[in-house]
Amino acid sequence: MEERTIDHLLEQYLHLLHEYTSLRAELNKLQAGLYQNLARANFAAERGMRYGQDQYDDRMQASRRVVVLPSSVCPTFEVVKVDDDDDGAAVTTTEKTAQASVSKSEAVASEEGKVAQGGPNSREGEAAEGPEGGEGMKEEEAAAEPIASSVKGTEPKTSEPKAKKNSNDPLRWFGLITPMPLRQAQAQSVQAVGDIVPRLVSINAEMAQVEIEVRRARKKRAKAEAAARKSEDVASKEDVAV
Amino acid sequence: MTSAADYKDRQFLAVIGDEDSVTGLLLAGIGHVTDPPDSQKNFLVVDNKTETSAIEAAFESFTEKRKDIGIVLINQHIAEKIRHRIDTYTAAFPTVLEIPSKEHPYDPEKDSVLRRVRRLFGE
Repeated sequence: MEERTIDHLLEQYLHLLHEYTSLRAELNKLQAGLYQNLARANFAAERGMRYGQDQYDDRMQASRRVVVLPSSVCPTFEVVKVDDDDDGAAVTTTEKTAQASVSKSEAVASEEGKVAQGGPNSREGEAAEGPEGGEGMKEEEAAAEPIASSVKGTEPKTSEPKAKKNSNDPLRWFGLITPMPLRQAQAQSVQAVGDIVPRLVSINAEMAQVEIEVRRARKKRAKAEAAARKSEDVASKEDVAV
Repeated sequence: MTSAADYKDRQFLAVIGDEDSVTGLLLAGIGHVTDPPDSQKNFLVVDNKTETSAIEAAFESFTEKRKDIGIVLINQHIAEKIRHRIDTYTAAFPTVLEIPSKEHPYDPEKDSVLRRVRRLFGE
């Protein structure tokens, strides 16, 4: 009986291990692509310019956060996109929506990239941008909107919250117009953090739980075997005495 | 079994890695600096000059002192420097995950999860 339980647990464990190794391979692939894209961005950058810690924003706020979902056996991890609303409170959105918005911004950015292929934008661009990051980009978008909205005079009101959302994008630390490889690196990083990492850590937790159950079952089996051996010894001694 | 209080506020990912790894992960939007006067960062950029004690201190801060970290990502080659700490770390929250870096690809031999697997199967 115990043997069957242990076999069943080990089978479950091997399935988890298989999933873990395939996720690992996927993460390795994404990470390799990310490093390659970062290297390409650095190679094409202006002399002396490097996309690194010198350009990090010291006031950065996480736009992707961990959510731990309680479960009967072991907790499950998820990474969700968080948007700051007007009051500064965090509002979570689903990852699918987040990825859609990322690809949308990529599409907009790629069009910009076609216009200015001359490599990364320097700090000058960011300085001109001011505290309401992405304003320049939004102005272009606003210009494409129907004229009717501007006639009503509602344009500034509608573009303001959009600009606020954009300022949370880490790409803006590196300038207003960023090179394509850097945007590709961001897309790969979003996929790794939003999809692979939470699944990997959830499987890790599940594996740890199964390990505990296997050890418990093995201990139980060892105890049962010891008890059976003891009773056999007692029986054989009684036979000898008779 | 862990209680809800253990993980309710654990909403950030932390990173200990080389500059490219940290930059790449921060691009996804996981970087967070707490409000002043503390202004604690949830990442540590490790280079050749970074001492092991600094890495250990950051790991301790992310895993023990701070209660808002849910997942700690650490480059595998950096985890090797504090392997004793990683291997003896058994808490469920935050969970620690080793990731490859640019110059040090993922090595299954050093992966703490796969070491656990080998131990379970008696190797």
